[in-house]
Amino acid sequence: MLATLAPHEAPPIVDATAVRSPRPRRVGALVPYLYLLPGLALLAVWVYRPLTQTFQISFVSWNLLPTSPARPVGLANYERLFTLPDFGSALGRTAVLILGLLPFTIVVPVVVGLLARRVRGRAATVYQGLVFAPLLVAPVAGAAVWQWLLDPRSGAVNQILGTTVNWLQEPGPAQLAIIVITGWHVLGFAVLVVAAGLAGITDDYAEAAALDGATRGQITRWITLPMLSPTLVFLLLMTVLLAAQWSFPLIDTLTHGGPAGATTNVYYLLWDYGFHSFDAGLGAAAGVIFFLGFGVIAGGLVWLSEKVSIHDN
Amino acid sequence: MSRIQIEGLTRRFGQVTAVDHVGIDIPDGDFLVLLGPSGCGKSTLLRMIAGLTPPSDGRILLDGRDITHIPPRDRDLAMVFQSYALYPHLTVARNIGFPLRARRRPRTEIDSRVETVTRVLGLGELLTRRPRELSGGQRQRVALARALVRDPGAFLLDEPLSNLDATLRTATRAELTELHRRLGSTFVHVTHDQVEAMTMATRIAVLNRGRLEQVGTPSEVYDAPATTFVAGFIGSPAMGLLSARLDLVDGGLYARAEGVDLPVGPGDPEDGARQVLVGVRAEHLALVAPSTAPLRGVVRLVENLGSEEVAHCLVGEARLTVRGPRPLGLAAGDSVGLTTDPEHVHLFDPGSGRRLVRTPTPVTAVQS
Ligand SMILES: Nc1ncnc2c1ncn2[C@@H]1O[C@H](COP(=O)(O)OP(=O)(O)OP(=O)(O)O)[C@@H](O)[C@H]1O
Ligand SMILES: [Mg+2]
Repeated sequence: MLATLAPHEAPPIVDATAVRSPRPRRVGALVPYLYLLPGLALLAVWVYRPLTQTFQISFVSWNLLPTSPARPVGLANYERLFTLPDFGSALGRTAVLILGLLPFTIVVPVVVGLLARRVRGRAATVYQGLVFAPLLVAPVAGAAVWQWLLDPRSGAVNQILGTTVNWLQEPGPAQLAIIVITGWHVLGFAVLVVAAGLAGITDDYAEAAALDGATRGQITRWITLPMLSPTLVFLLLMTVLLAAQWSFPLIDTLTHGGPAGATTNVYYLLWDYGFHSFDAGLGAAAGVIFFLGFGVIAGGLVWLSEKVSIHDN
Repeated sequence: MSRIQIEGLTRRFGQVTAVDHVGIDIPDGDFLVLLGPSGCGKSTLLRMIAGLTPPSDGRILLDGRDITHIPPRDRDLAMVFQSYALYPHLTVARNIGFPLRARRRPRTEIDSRVETVTRVLGLGELLTRRPRELSGGQRQRVALARALVRDPGAFLLDEPLSNLDATLRTATRAELTELHRRLGSTFVHVTHDQVEAMTMATRIAVLNRGRLEQVGTPSEVYDAPATTFVAGFIGSPAMGLLSARLDLVDGGLYARAEGVDLPVGPGDPEDGARQVLVGVRAEHLALVAPSTAPLRGVVRLVENLGSEEVAHCLVGEARLTVRGPRPLGLAAGDSVGLTTDPEHVHLFDPGSGRRLVRTPTPVTAVQS
């Protein structure tokens, strides 16, 4: 007699977890959040709480003295902000600062990074060290040295250029000096980021392209730069969001926002409102506006970086 | 259409000699397979042909033209990388068209070439996708299409099938062979898979530690391995090798060792008392009664291959494998007697590992 082969049947699995009481499992689900807790607590105390307080202060009039009362004024601080001429011109100068820094944070690092790939071994390390060194100099110390270099009478800059410019006391040159010194300072960081981005692109693509008949220039334009674009968008984001902060210690040491406000950018302006004019409400209102404005810009750039990012496999 | 000649090609990486004085003449239209174990220098050799790794020494000629120092883009060669190296930010169509775009061909020509190649390889629906949206097999085909699109002098393929599953690999193997037949171009194909080598190659070059062990057709390499390395590397299960001493009895040579008294054919007096390595392939061994057998040993393990069985036997110190239809009727621990035809016995020099061949004059090592 013929009988069909019984289908394969696995023995039933005894659920080991089902035997255990459900409590440990619930604790298990909590574990990741417990790990996050210290970080979240720090964020709450040092970021979210001040942020909320800034919002609150922007609706009051207060001179920062703990003894004097904070008077609610509604939207008056915002109205004042938009009628003051400082605000618009600080925005304009911030834009100039950002544009002026882009060569230092994107153009030069890309050129340096592409050239550095041709340098190998010990020389490459020395080269990277040289480029990176300025970042290790404390901004205020760097500013002191630059102040000395930029001295109108005996400074090395004027001697080398053969000029007699009073760098830090004339509006145009002061802004230029702030841009160049900030750029000098962050260049190493940007080069490092670009080098990391380039290191993440395997040589296979350039080799395949070379065999496909592409010239060096074509490989750079068609393969390397497009694959580097997420890194470049990241640097753009950093520059836009942080340019004013990067330049702050230099401005505070070298020009105090002058001459005649020529180097006052948004970040310095709100600090000036708060801690020079002791107008906490106005400073906070400026802070809120910049927070929202930069938030929108950052959102746009993050969206852009998602769009250009290439998921290499 | 290209003939590739390689002369004394060497590449050193510090202390390591990855490729050591390799010389091969690859005639136009050949399908040469570079075969060898991992790390033997196959990729390095291929990359030197492509121009991606500069040689330390030696020359490469393409159709008689010395290309040793010519940059890759001027070599008229196309390569398929093991990683495929598809440009991740470009669509399939742009990837395939890239070699033509780099050569500044007109848009219409690029489009029509891409269209032709994708039709041949059945990639029509994938043209607007990016590499990351493709399966491994599809990526492999796109990489192949990119190589095919501009009709290069020769194709260099670095283990293009190693990322595919077994079924797809078999199918792609047949397709590549068919493609080679239709195009008639020169192919240099790197692999460590002997089945790939045996089935696709018109000629196989076996590499070991950067040295060329043998170049020949698949049957030459299988039937007359030039060295013990080739004998052990090609064929599954590997050819068993046992060391023995030759004895001349009545004009006939016998290989003798513990458990071994095997006739290996006629011989000359000079051959007597010579130490040799004796090799016999698993399919050429037959089972006989243990008492009078020329090879006597013990079964250590029997493997079931489905249609056949393979018995691993210990003869003296050496391992021999027997292969035959199921069931062989053997079990681990059994005493076993084996025999073979003298014509299926391979003899090697124990010192150099080179094959010993019969010559009209006394037996000598092969020179190559
Ligand atoms: N760039 C390199 N620097 C130093 N050593 C290298 C380099 N490339 C290869 N080698 C060495 O050269 C030898 C041959 O390498 P190769 O990549 O040619 O091997 P292969 O035969 O292609 O191996 P596989 O089958 O694993 O791909 C190896 O010992 C490897 O370590
Ligand atoms: Mg390899």
